[in-house]
Amino acid sequence: MTDSDPAIAVENLTKTYTERDGETVTAVDDVSLEVERGTVVGVLGPNGAGKTTAIKSILGLVVPSSGTVRVDGVDVSENPAEAYRSVGAVLEGARNVYWRLTVRENLEFFSRLHGHDSPADDRAHEEYVRTLNFEDKLDELVNDLSRGMKQKTALACTFARRTPILFLDEPTLGLDVETSRDLRRQLRELVETEDRTVVLSSHDMDTVQQLCDRVVVMNEGEIVADESVEDLIDLFRTQSYRLTVAGELSDSTRELLAERFQASDWERLDGEVEFEVLLEHGDQLYDCMDVLRDAGVTPASVRALDPDLEEAFVRIIERERAAMEGPA
Amino acid sequence: MSPDRSTTAPARSTALGTGTLLKAIGTKTYVLRKRYLFNTVTQIAIIYVLFLMVWFGGKAVAPTAIADNLAGITVGFFVWVMAVRAYRALSQDLINEAQWGTLEQLYLTPFGFGRVLAVKTVVNVAESFLWGATILALLLVTTSQSLYVDVVSVVPLVALSLASAAGVGFVLGGLTLLYKRIENVFTLVQFLFVAFIAAPVEQYPLLKLLPLSLGTDLLGSVMGDGLRLWELPALDLGLLVVKATLYLVVGYVVLQRCQYRARVRGALGHY
Repeated sequence: MTDSDPAIAVENLTKTYTERDGETVTAVDDVSLEVERGTVVGVLGPNGAGKTTAIKSILGLVVPSSGTVRVDGVDVSENPAEAYRSVGAVLEGARNVYWRLTVRENLEFFSRLHGHDSPADDRAHEEYVRTLNFEDKLDELVNDLSRGMKQKTALACTFARRTPILFLDEPTLGLDVETSRDLRRQLRELVETEDRTVVLSSHDMDTVQQLCDRVVVMNEGEIVADESVEDLIDLFRTQSYRLTVAGELSDSTRELLAERFQASDWERLDGEVEFEVLLEHGDQLYDCMDVLRDAGVTPASVRALDPDLEEAFVRIIERERAAMEGPA
Repeated sequence: MSPDRSTTAPARSTALGTGTLLKAIGTKTYVLRKRYLFNTVTQIAIIYVLFLMVWFGGKAVAPTAIADNLAGITVGFFVWVMAVRAYRALSQDLINEAQWGTLEQLYLTPFGFGRVLAVKTVVNVAESFLWGATILALLLVTTSQSLYVDVVSVVPLVALSLASAAGVGFVLGGLTLLYKRIENVFTLVQFLFVAFIAAPVEQYPLLKLLPLSLGTDLLGSVMGDGLRLWELPALDLGLLVVKATLYLVVGYVVLQRCQYRARVRGALGHY
């Protein structure tokens, strides 16, 4: 392991399952990925996209069908114990901590599970719960805590392992808006303070947009986009426009606009019609204008839309689904 | 001064590190037993009542047989309690951890999953000793009999006997990871253990190869007849050591194989 090694290097990772009826399902399909040290990478994807299987395969909790995973330069399948010196994880759908122990007892247990057992570690545990703003619950049973506090306990225990690489699978799942926002802020603080490498999977776009430097979008087991958050949003920034035209548009013109420029979200306002178009490239805007001119209407305004991460994500998935379905 | 929260690599998996792991698992077990003391006491009480039923029932049906074999029955029951606890604890732990959603967290340790399970087994066996000792004290008071409890002789024999039970526990633990709901097999094995403990090893020497059979027989000689460890047949002691090692090694290999298969299926943390 050297500092030049990426924190995580995944090469051609594939995981297939054979179902009871003999059918083979590919949950992760030839995924390759490198994560640099100190970065926060978000993994997005619709349900069943393969995010959790990919994360568990990277962690060695699921044995991949093929491909290699190196964490901190160590091959996870060849030497898992050595690789786990560098890795901690909060896993989706699991409690991750013992509900019949107190927060402090959990922190001590999981810290020791990574070989840390000193008074300095105990002080660090108190600091984690203070950062996550639930230090008054340190000696309460986890079972008696709210869902948000339980999730915070799981996060604190993962941090208490003091590993340089963290996998957080849906860390804000099921939390109310306020708790989720607090947790995001606190998580950001912890990540920035300690310079950890984080791979974070979430359905919560705000969480990903605020925490991540880079986003990997998965669909049907494949990586379909891998960009910085800004680049991913920019990808669509100049391609989505809201147009206002004076006068009426015939059905045939609407159909043509929908077919060529994915026109949608039609609205009629005082003799004007508003709609959105999604263009494959900037030049198509002129083609769109030509169609309107041929239809005898004048564009009154053209406004570029600034999509957020959620919109970018939805469009990528729609594009992928359209590509899979093929031409009509 | 702010506490050290740097991301340092944990201690190498040396003996010192294993001590930390032992402390983690031992402390957790102790805290839970203490916190749920009523549950612990109830479990011991149930075992005690079970013995009373065997003892009083036996005395009512065949008083002479019970009186003649009182020491054997007591030693057998003592071994059975510890063996069932030692073998079942690991499987039950794995079921609980899967249900609690913490099993995969145990896997993600630099000590290695195998070492975690091995240390869990050591803690379970140690706990079984305590249970066994408590039950034995209750049995001796109830039956007003006396047994030779030479610690130097009894402890190694119990440890070697329980090692074979722990080996069976490893196998069942592995099957639990793979097939999940196998509680019925646990019950069957509990009854099989009764048969193994009562196996007539003097008449049929091959039965010595079964788990618990030889160990219980030797314990009977020590606790019932007052023999010392070094007064027991060397061949039997050697066989006991070989058997304990074999059961443990084979059980551990099966367990590791099963956890690998469970990970291939993506079902390690499922229950």
